[in-house]
Parts: sequence; structure tokens; C-alpha cells
Amino acid sequence: MRGLAGALFLAVALLAGAGSAKAENLIAALSSDRVKIESNFTGTEIVVFGEISRDAATVARADPYDLAIIVTGPPQRVTVRRKGRLLGVWVNRDAEDYRKVPGFYAAHLTRSAVDMATRVVLERLQIGLHNINLPIIGKSNVPFSDRDDFRDAFLRLRIQNALFAERVHSIQFLSDNLFRTTIPLPSNVPVGEYKVTTYLLRGGALLAQQEQKLTIAKTGFEQLTFSLAHRYAPIYGAAAVMLALLTGWLAGVVFRRD
Amino acid sequence: MSVFIRTQDALVPDSFRKPWCRVQIYLPIAELPVNMFTVFGMGGAVGFLSGLFGIGGGFLLTPLLIFSGIPPAVSVATVTTQIVASSASGVLSYWRRKAIDFKLAGMLLASGVVGSALGVWVFDILRGLGQLDLVISLSYVTFLGTIGVLMLVESVRAMSRRRAGGAHHTRLPGKHNWIHGLPLKMRFRQSRLYVSVIPIVFLGSSIGFLGAVLGIGGGFMMVPALIYILRVPTNIVIGTSLLQILVTMAVATFLHAVSTQSVDIVLAMILMVGGVIGAQFGARTGQKLRGDQLRLLLALLVLAVGMRFAVGLIVQPDELYSVAVTSGRLP
Repeated sequence: MRGLAGALFLAVALLAGAGSAKAENLIAALSSDRVKIESNFTGTEIVVFGEISRDAATVARADPYDLAIIVTGPPQRVTVRRKGRLLGVWVNRDAEDYRKVPGFYAAHLTRSAVDMATRVVLERLQIGLHNINLPIIGKSNVPFSDRDDFRDAFLRLRIQNALFAERVHSIQFLSDNLFRTTIPLPSNVPVGEYKVTTYLLRGGALLAQQEQKLTIAKTGFEQLTFSLAHRYAPIYGAAAVMLALLTGWLAGVVFRRD
Repeated sequence: MSVFIRTQDALVPDSFRKPWCRVQIYLPIAELPVNMFTVFGMGGAVGFLSGLFGIGGGFLLTPLLIFSGIPPAVSVATVTTQIVASSASGVLSYWRRKAIDFKLAGMLLASGVVGSALGVWVFDILRGLGQLDLVISLSYVTFLGTIGVLMLVESVRAMSRRRAGGAHHTRLPGKHNWIHGLPLKMRFRQSRLYVSVIPIVFLGSSIGFLGAVLGIGGGFMMVPALIYILRVPTNIVIGTSLLQILVTMAVATFLHAVSTQSVDIVLAMILMVGGVIGAQFGARTGQKLRGDQLRLLLALLVLAVGMRFAVGLIVQPDELYSVAVTSGRLP
């Protein structure tokens, strides 16, 4: 049955002379491609919306469409530490370093990742918290048996921090073809370049994908302060001292009692 | 730059979206928003206590900030800035009263700067090793525990002596101990002292070191040390120690800004304003209390903070794991 449909599909596509062999087309867009962090920033949200378009060549199939919208933040190098008891005191003992893990990860899915496709596909596309790649730095002292504990702890802490999330059934369909989802960005969201990728799957196969760029940046005073503190550290330090001296002096003058 | 990522910032409860408490301000270096009034209140409360007891209050403010979710590195570095402000107004008023021994302060300072540079260097290493939390906690337990117990014993003795109506035992500046037998003597005219520079250099550098590592001014250690070890007259002690703290902390702020880049100027500003206002009310209240009562209260406060750290070290934490971002946050 499937084979027949596939052959028919192929034949129609060839007949139509279409360059792409895909009958489904995916269009997606962001509500805003730039998030500004200002002094009153307490987190925000972005809306991803789009349309799945089908042309006449599309063959109706029993499998439903699956959408996965993945937001990934700038890569970070991260150390996960585990406390252990040493001489009656809780001390950081074992540590595992991860390189190039996303600073932010949100997966919005139409249904749970395992139902969408095989693990191989999910891992290739980085769909779902359990399928993302967390590469370990070569020299690690953590025994193999504990690696999963570190990985689980990392994911757990990131979920607690609202920096990592997987939300199933979070994509709304406004019509058969129009979809929309709202992705919250927490207040502690790292700044940098983000990637928003929308995958359209059906029956475990990737039909189409679209990628958008999203920039999260501090602006105005926040940006100025941050870059001053990092690029012109001595000037920043001197300014901080001067500001403190001035405040102290002002207080001394204002509250002078003698 | 945030070094220790903690479970959702305690200063930002879920209710932050309600309009009545929308006084969140985003800290550019700590990279998280805080409730402006909460931080202002902390600065004010610590300022009140610092005015009350004549201390810098760094040893209270740093843990308060850490417990409320600000990364420890940012807390320590920013409190050094706040101490500059709070000690500056004190120095000014003691200067007007000519109650500062500049020569003694200069000696303490020169050694204090060396100590604090060493402290910032060690701070950076510890942060890299992931043991900053531990060292901060252990040091707080040790120092606050020791000083707290000493002060408690001293103030209880003073109170019972006063109750017994016994003769008031005063320590005269001329009285000598083994410290005064050390070589390399130097004369400090204003303090009426002729004493070896070795204990002064030791005192200055160790307090500078601790100040940079722990984000404390060290006034609560410096003042008793100057009185009981060096026998500096009480009226000179506070002004001199404040001047030493001012300069040491100014240097520590600068060095933290250069090496760890964790001085948050916005956080510092809110703390400073709260602190200087609180200090004025504290100083007024302090005049109504007796010295030994004040010392007893301060001893209990110091012990309580030390105990809080001890509990954190001994009790098994709910979460054994922690995540630290080591790189990848570019401006």
C-alpha cells in the first residue's frame, strides 16, 4: 500500500517536472527576530507561526503531520559538578565538562518525540531533550557508570532554570495548515545568536525544514555596561570606585550632623 | 559571566508579572533581574546594622546576596564596591574630627593592598577549580565563629562585671605584651605608639586578603585587633580602620573589575543608596544603646551568620549537582 503510494507520488512528481521531490512545503516565521534586553527585562516570549502547504501532488496518507519547533541558544562550555562528603563537609568532588552545549534549548512538539520518528532521526535533528547531543571533553575522570547521572543532572538543572524545555502538544493548529506556538524566553536567557528550526515530519520521515535566526542582545545601558566591564575593565573598575566614593561623600554631606 | 547557575533566582518569585511589584531591574553583569526594593531593603538593613555597630557590614551583605541567588562571584566583587561607599562617609566624618592616624593607616594600607591583590588572584584560581563556594563557606564559619565567640564571651563578662559593680578594668595604651617586643619598631605619634611594623604588616595584609576573597571589609576583625593587640587608643581606632578599609576595598573593587569582571555597578548602586540611608538611622539608634549591649547583639548576629554557613556545609544538600558556564557568553 505504502509502496504503491510512494510510486504514485514519485510518478506524479516526475510528471509535474518539479525540481523538488517533496509535495509538502513549509513556511515558518518568527514574531520578532531580535529580542532586546533592557533594564526592565524579566523574560519575554516569541511566537513561531507558519503554514504547511500541499500541492495537488500531495497524496493523502493515514499518518498525521508532525511538527517540531526547536530553539537552540549559543553554544557554551559547561562544567557540571557533584558534591560528595569529605571529612564531614559537603564539597564539590567529581566534575564533567561539556563543550558546545546549547545555552538554551526549547523543543515544541505536536506529540512526544518517540512517537514521531526513530531515535536515529531524532538524534540527527536534535529533537527532544533526550536526543540532544552533549559532547564530553576528552579528559574526564567520571566513570562510565556515572556519566548518565551527570547528563540527567545537567538536564534537570537546566529545566529548573527554565533554560531547557520540551513541551509536547504545544503547537496549535489554527486551521488544517496554519500552525502557531509561543516559546517563552526566561529572564536569565543567555545573550547571543539563536536558531529556530521547524521540522515537518510524517510517518517518521522528514518532509521539510526551515531555519530562522534569532538574536538576543542587551541594548542601551545594559550593553554599554557589559561591554565596558569586559573590554575596558580598568576604566570600568575605576568608574565603580569613583561612583562609590562620590556616593559616600554625598551621604556624608547630606547627613552631616556636626 | 554568571558563574554559578542556581535554581530560579529567589529574588524573582513567580508573582513578578503582577503589576504592583514590577520593580524588576536587570543586572547587566549578574545577568538576571532582581527586585529593586528587595535589594534596596537588604542594603538598608545591613546599612542600619553597620551604623548601629560601627562595622562595614560586608560579612552580612555578601551572604545575604549569595543566599538570594546572586552568583557568589558577583556578590563578593560588588560588595567590595558597596563597602567603599559606606566607609567613605565614615572616613570623612572622622577626618573632620581628626581621629585618624594617617601613618598607621598608611602602614596597614600598604600591606593591605598586597594582601588584597593576592586575595583577588586566589579568588580567580578558586573560581576556576570550582571550590570558591567551599572556601567562602569554610572561611565564614571559621572567622565568624571565632570572632563571634570571642565577642560573646567578652561582652557577657563586661555585662556581669558591670552588674557586680566591680572596678572597670581599662587597658592602658602603655601596657605592653609580647607583640611589643618585636624588632623593626616605628613611632606612631597620633596613636601614642612605638611598636614593631611586623604585626601591623601581618594584620593589614591578612585582612586585605580576606576582604578580597570573602567580600568583607574586615572592620569587625581589624577594630578588636588594633585595640587588643596593638593597644591603639579607642578614639583613633575606628577612623583609622575605616580609612584602611576604604583604600583596601577600593583596590579590591578595581582588581575584581579587571580580573574577574564581576563588579555589577547597577547592583552596587542600589546597595550603596540603601546602605548609606540605613547607616544614618543605625547610628542614631546606636547612641541609645550601651556598648556592651551592642557588642552582645553584634556577637549573636556574627554567630548566627556563621552557623548558617556551617549548616549549609554539614547538612546534605537537596541538590548535589551544580552547573557552571565556563565560557561562551560573549557580549
